[in-house]
Amino acid sequence: MNNFLNINGLENYFFIITKIFFISCSILYLIFSLIVVKQVTSMSKSVTDKFNPILILFSFIHLGFSILLILTMFGL
Amino acid sequence: MNRSKDLDTVAPDDEVVVPTPKKKEVVAEKKIEVDNSKPDFSQTVYDILGHTKSPFSSFLVRPKILTFTERDENEEIYLAVRPHWANNISWVIIAFLMLFVPLFFKYFTFINFFPSQYRFTAVLFWYLITFIYAFEKFLSWYFNLFLITNERVVDIDFNNLLNKHFAEADLSMIQDVSSSVKGIFGTFFNFGDVLIQTASEVNQINFEKVPNPEKIIKLLKELRDLEDQKNGGGKDNE
Repeated sequence: MNNFLNINGLENYFFIITKIFFISCSILYLIFSLIVVKQVTSMSKSVTDKFNPILILFSFIHLGFSILLILTMFGL
Repeated sequence: MNRSKDLDTVAPDDEVVVPTPKKKEVVAEKKIEVDNSKPDFSQTVYDILGHTKSPFSSFLVRPKILTFTERDENEEIYLAVRPHWANNISWVIIAFLMLFVPLFFKYFTFINFFPSQYRFTAVLFWYLITFIYAFEKFLSWYFNLFLITNERVVDIDFNNLLNKHFAEADLSMIQDVSSSVKGIFGTFFNFGDVLIQTASEVNQINFEKVPNPEKIIKLLKELRDLEDQKNGGGKDNE
């Protein structure tokens, strides 16, 4: 496949398209993780229990990792 | 006593007018009775349901910290139930298997074509998806609550993180309660559905896959009896 792309001079285009695809996926994922944070917070308000702060913390850690994902995607 | 001589004095055959302070005393006595009955019923709840040991249990008897937005000031939660933990086995296994998927990436020649940075981000992305899959399943279980309070039964559901479903029915509105335990898992772990039919706007409330359905039915019966007694007592006083 590598040779095929080199022969046709499409390797750079292929990686650029892949990168755009990855970045758009990670942006969508970031939006999704923001929704998760919002939902976990509203769930915790609706039903209060002992472990709610831990769940909120997990949702924020997840948000942090999705930001990290976007940064690594831009670094490609 | 001659009534024509002293009209201000009440004659023995006159109708006795009950003074208002006595009514107050009756109300006060009633309140005391209700207050005394509370600890007794709490003991009954413990007798029927037993005590909860773990806060992560799916069967929480008289939870102290757990509360919900729609709760009234004096409302007491007797039982909070989540679906039985055995229902989580399937997604736990799937999430566990998903953890090992990146180990098989090297066997796909197409993936090896990408530079290491691309592969790293793909693996990171995969683990985030794995995490959110497990987290979302856990949240769906954790916030799927069925509550029995001293006033009503409540069903709170969060579906797919985006939809909230809230249903309630007063204890006095409960008409029929039935339960069903299905399948090998249900029989083995003793969990099943409790269907509550009501006379309120919400025709039925279904407690799905809850542990110890027979205990829930027994508690509901006791609460309904207590409610009937209260209503009966109220009518007698009237």
